[in-house]
Amino acid sequence: MVLCGGKFAFPTLQLLAYEKFICAIGIGKADETIVDALERESEDNHFGFKSFPSSKSIAEMRVWVESIQPDYIFCISFPFLLPESVLTYGENRFINFHPGSLPQYRGSMPIFEVLKNKETETAICAHFMSSKFDKGNIIFNDPVVIDEGDTYGKLTVKLSQRMAQVALNMANMLQFANSIPNHPQDETLACYYEKPELSDTYINWKRMSAEEIIALINACNPWNTGADATLLGEQLKIISAQVLNEMHHCQPGTLVSITETLNIACGDNKQIAVKILSCDEGIMTADQFMEVKKMELKINY
Amino acid sequence: MQTIGILLPRSTYYQTIGFDLYEGLRSGLKHLEKNDIKIVTENIGFGADKQQCYRSAEKLLLEENADVVIAYIGHRMAQLLRPLFLAANRMLIVLDAGASLPQEWPSCPNIFYHSLHNSLGALLAAKQAVNDGYTSAGMVTGYYDGGYLHTYSISQGFEDYGGKIAFNHATGYKEEDFTMEPLKNHLEQFPNAALLSLFSGDFVQWYFEGIKNVLQEKNISVYLSPFGFEEMMLTDAEYPGVHIKGIAAWSNKIESDENKIFIEVLNETGRIPNLFSLLSWESAFISLKIIELTKECKNNVTQIASGLHSFTFESPRGTICFDKKTNNSISPLYNAIIIESSEGKCELELRNKIDNVLEHFEELTAQELNNVTSAWYNSYACI
Repeated sequence: MVLCGGKFAFPTLQLLAYEKFICAIGIGKADETIVDALERESEDNHFGFKSFPSSKSIAEMRVWVESIQPDYIFCISFPFLLPESVLTYGENRFINFHPGSLPQYRGSMPIFEVLKNKETETAICAHFMSSKFDKGNIIFNDPVVIDEGDTYGKLTVKLSQRMAQVALNMANMLQFANSIPNHPQDETLACYYEKPELSDTYINWKRMSAEEIIALINACNPWNTGADATLLGEQLKIISAQVLNEMHHCQPGTLVSITETLNIACGDNKQIAVKILSCDEGIMTADQFMEVKKMELKINY
Repeated sequence: MQTIGILLPRSTYYQTIGFDLYEGLRSGLKHLEKNDIKIVTENIGFGADKQQCYRSAEKLLLEENADVVIAYIGHRMAQLLRPLFLAANRMLIVLDAGASLPQEWPSCPNIFYHSLHNSLGALLAAKQAVNDGYTSAGMVTGYYDGGYLHTYSISQGFEDYGGKIAFNHATGYKEEDFTMEPLKNHLEQFPNAALLSLFSGDFVQWYFEGIKNVLQEKNISVYLSPFGFEEMMLTDAEYPGVHIKGIAAWSNKIESDENKIFIEVLNETGRIPNLFSLLSWESAFISLKIIELTKECKNNVTQIASGLHSFTFESPRGTICFDKKTNNSISPLYNAIIIESSEGKCELELRNKIDNVLEHFEELTAQELNNVTSAWYNSYACI
């Protein structure tokens, strides 16, 4: 049985279904079109199916699991914590696939955190589930390389595709193993990241280096429509930019020059070249943004 | 006492493969004066049974407590074992025929591939054909050999260098289905085509026999990958009387102290040195380095992998080092041709060592796979 949160799990569902490992799919709090599509696919393939639209609906899970009698339950980005009443279905029968290294990247958005922290490698962690988020015994962390320029979107797609093979490997392991090696998480290495808030996605021009700002911009693209920033006195979101290795003598956060990009001073005496941003008028390139700003200046003065 | 585990396959064509792999490792350790290391073996059949492979590896790790495990398996099977080695925090050395392409699967710090580079050799053989002036070629292989990605490497390589694959011929894998007859028609239509050929084991002998019977009068050039130059098979193969050249991974004719010692030691055990005993002889060096690094790095696999990336050693085929991106060993390759022996059979003649193998390997691993994949689980040449 696979409990998932939506599209991220689709490649895994396809591969596990192809290899005939799936007996049922549960989905939590997802887009209606996705729920409908999964329900249709489940019917066509004679899998059990159930939607869990809210945390309250988890109360129905134990009865549903009992009715299906799966050997194991895989969780992939399932949005709700499974209570003891569900986990007692079977010890070490619930395996979560966390899209980040554990115990270093606990929390709901490890993909954002690893990018923001400029990591060069992340992992998919397979672990037995306990009644606390991301805290059960680790089976393995399967490493995934983060390429330069990877955004939240690119890394999510990469992890989603890799997840399929990792989950299949895990299913094979469960099928063939006499015992599954696992170990408790090292709490001295553990770090829990809350869901990012504005303070986490906001560019602090003064304190952040150009590299840190680019890492944040990539970490916010596309889920937050870019990193939040103040530029020319306006609140906007920077979606795509790169480091410009040119010194400046301006206050951090100042527009230094305009080429095909908006070149902005950062705290470490480097600049970032902004290519795409989102403002009240919409998502636009640097050129388009400057056209809009010129128009505004003409209207105002 | 330290323990090295080894998963041994069997092969109908290379009937001694398990013994060769075991003896190569044992003799390699003995040569390195490591008589205190215990070798534990498990049989994995043709390397195609997932359960058998998994359980054998599990036994070596969890029951025998092997410090390092060596296995002559394919890339797909290595992926199946990947979570086990990650979970157990141990290193797996895959003795790799090199018939797959490293970029098919993402690398893993726990798995290092020690390779005979059949795909890389195939790519370089294709390059030779282009350099020899061929602009069209046919890929010739069999149902079995054709299932590995070296087919992609040789045909894509030929086209990347400016040639065009004019035809493909994949023959059956049983002797009664094995035929080179279709090549007659192909070569009538494309008389100037080179034959880019991928065969291993008995198929090499059948192929040469087929060429001799069907095509001998034609002035054709055959290009081979390293397994086509396996010397034990060549000894029994009829010389087909056409131009045959390509890339060899090793030969007992390589003149070096290391090769001389390897051949002498293996001969003393009553075995004929071959590609398989060579691979496991070399794996003794890698295993010992892993054991040393494991102690030094206190079982931190990332650090062990990093230590291996900077490790080099002298082997019977030359200096071996590792590619950081794919965890593959990089070893010398040789331009070679087939000549007729005094008994009318085939004999390998070495030409020259190929320069910049690492650069060629990087070129190979940069090939876009365009979703091509191999479904074969077998250890290569194990059917």
